[in-house]
Amino acid sequence: MSRVPQALVLLLLLSQAAAAQAIQYQRPVDTAPQADSIGGGYKVPAVQKPLPRDYWLQVLDVVVLGAAMGVSVWLVLKRRSRKWLTALTIGCLGYFGFYREGCICPIGSLQNVVVALADPKYSIPMVVTATFVLPLVVALYYGRAFCGGVCALGAIQELVVLKPVQVPRRLDRALGLVKYVYLGLAILFAVKPALARDFLICKFDPFVGFFRRTGAPHMLFLGGGLLVLGMFVGRPYCRYLCPYGGLLAWCTRLARRGVTITPDKELDCGLCAEACPYGAIEDMRAVRRDCMYCARCYASCPRERGVAS
Amino acid sequence: MSEDLTRRTVLAVLAGGAAFLVRKANGQIVWQVNAARCINSRLGDTGVEACNLCTTECVVALSAVRAVNEYAKCGRCNICPAYFNISSAVNELGQPSEKLCPRDAIARKPIGKVDPEDPANNFYEYIIDEEKCDGCGKCVLKCKEPLGLGSITLRVRYDRCVNCNECAILRACPQNALVQLPIGQAL
Amino acid sequence: MEYRHVQVIDGKGALHGIAVDSRGQLYAAGDSGIKIFDGAGRLNARWATARPALAVAVAGDGAVYAGELGRIEIFDGAGKLLHTWRDEKLLGRVTAIGFTQDSVLAGDAADRAIRRFDRSGKFLNNIGKDNPVNGLLIPNGVVDFAVDAQGVIYAANPGKHRVERYTPGGELLGHIGRFDGIDPAGFTGCCNPTNVAIRDGIYTTEKAGPRVKAYDFSGKLLAVIATDLFDVNCKNMSIAVGSHGRVYVVDTVKAAILVFEPVTV
Repeated sequence: MSRVPQALVLLLLLSQAAAAQAIQYQRPVDTAPQADSIGGGYKVPAVQKPLPRDYWLQVLDVVVLGAAMGVSVWLVLKRRSRKWLTALTIGCLGYFGFYREGCICPIGSLQNVVVALADPKYSIPMVVTATFVLPLVVALYYGRAFCGGVCALGAIQELVVLKPVQVPRRLDRALGLVKYVYLGLAILFAVKPALARDFLICKFDPFVGFFRRTGAPHMLFLGGGLLVLGMFVGRPYCRYLCPYGGLLAWCTRLARRGVTITPDKELDCGLCAEACPYGAIEDMRAVRRDCMYCARCYASCPRERGVAS
Repeated sequence: MSEDLTRRTVLAVLAGGAAFLVRKANGQIVWQVNAARCINSRLGDTGVEACNLCTTECVVALSAVRAVNEYAKCGRCNICPAYFNISSAVNELGQPSEKLCPRDAIARKPIGKVDPEDPANNFYEYIIDEEKCDGCGKCVLKCKEPLGLGSITLRVRYDRCVNCNECAILRACPQNALVQLPIGQAL
Repeated sequence: MEYRHVQVIDGKGALHGIAVDSRGQLYAAGDSGIKIFDGAGRLNARWATARPALAVAVAGDGAVYAGELGRIEIFDGAGKLLHTWRDEKLLGRVTAIGFTQDSVLAGDAADRAIRRFDRSGKFLNNIGKDNPVNGLLIPNGVVDFAVDAQGVIYAANPGKHRVERYTPGGELLGHIGRFDGIDPAGFTGCCNPTNVAIRDGIYTTEKAGPRVKAYDFSGKLLAVIATDLFDVNCKNMSIAVGSHGRVYVVDTVKAAILVFEPVTV
């Protein structure tokens, strides 16, 4: 028998089979009893639609951020008071850390800003832009006031500094480059298309588990480990890992004001350099881009304390 | 001098970038569960266990996902398979003796012309207490067609969700059932 | 009693209701109209209805009644349209049709009631509406009933998990059935049985764990005819029982009619 009639028969049978496939069982729900059918004065209650946090509260967060940085600048540069700065640190840890649970933060916001710049379909609320820009603007004029007492991740590390050791300068420099690598990776993963996009900074935030009082065990261990390390090596995340810190360091280079060890007044006693846990004093001069605005140098200076003549 | 210039340049760049972003800003984007993909509520996939990844994966301590009953679509049945555990023994009232929700989050009250004698003679409203519900999905699975009418679905609640950049539930969800939507559409 | 599955008839399109006449011909109402199959499952005739047909019944004189949204269309055995009864309120969604000696009964799912008309189409009375819940409890959107030889109407009341008996005047005589999620003699889930047929016993179909069962008139379970032969997503499976006890059930997902025969021991 020739092939063509066989093929035609097969085709005919297959088309029949295709027509007899299962009927879709998706049904719109129009059979539920309605209010008038139920009777008795019944009215269908409204389904709750809980709204997210009020917009004015989000704006308040930005206002508090700006105000806290302003207070930090004043406390460190003008009042030079470690006591009040510690109070600010604890206050900001409470507000931005445990109340807001570490989110949104300027460190993570850099990813959102990068995505918004790269992806035309992605946009961010104004408060996120403000959260990103404000600490950088302050850094342009006064240095890393954000790091000093305002950043929640910095605050938690700041409060565990016990017996800081001075990290050898070369090692400190080398490790300091790691944060630029992290910055590069964070930007790289942020500019990927939507499905491949990864928000690294949020994923590897070591302290958010403490703020939320719950988290993946490995991240809690990492955070705990960094805090233990932070007792002896001052603020390891801030100095070596924080990608936003990389941006702040760049902006601080252009700051006219900041923590200064005044050359003609210094005693050359070197107590400030010993007191600084962050290696921000070299050759008796403040290295502004590393300065974490902790005011320990002022606290340890005999002139500041009014001891020396 | 040149430092001033550079600072002003950086400021200008920041301001320009900020202006660009602000002009683009158009309202909040939030996460929502896509019921057409969620295995607890989409048709097909019979014989599955209730998926509780929404409960276990959410970064918030008590998950931001809740079971929500769309009242207008509910059958108001006496023997609700989402309220009762219909595989449990029948009690003297002719109802199953056990409730399904492990946290006892569903309450019911008779509506319409209430017959106090015979429970089978009434319509019932089923109300889910969002303080108790943890989004485990057991009731959602039982409400799914054909057993129920599919009025209960899992939904993200925005007074609890912290709106992560990358939803931890989505990362774990085998059906990719979490989507980002403008707040107006998501509610 | 045991049943065995003998045949699957391909419905050739979405099916909603079936009926069987005294000659063993199978009438199927579906989205594309009415189809008539013979005893062996061959398609004998088909015709379109004005709207998707949700129910079908054959009167003693051979007239074919098709229930649709808002109307009942009456055809002769060859498919010629004889009458149309239109009433958006009384015939909102006709999902079952039955006959007593002198009247035509139509199950209206939109109002959760059974309507009784005389043979000319004049409305006589409602059945099943005289209760606190304003009708039968029908979350599934289908009212189904059957009429026995004495004119007693057996209506499925799925929300109450029972089959209720009414007089044609609307008086409730009694019921069989109860909820039970474990015992197969009971009706499981939220609302079962969805459909019912009468011959020498009461035959019911259920959804969600689709199954077909037979009871005697006192409510004792006689047989579980089938449980796992249907697509699990079936709902509102129409049932008809022919002479010789043959049971015809619609698989609404696969759009097929499954045929079962009692096994004579």
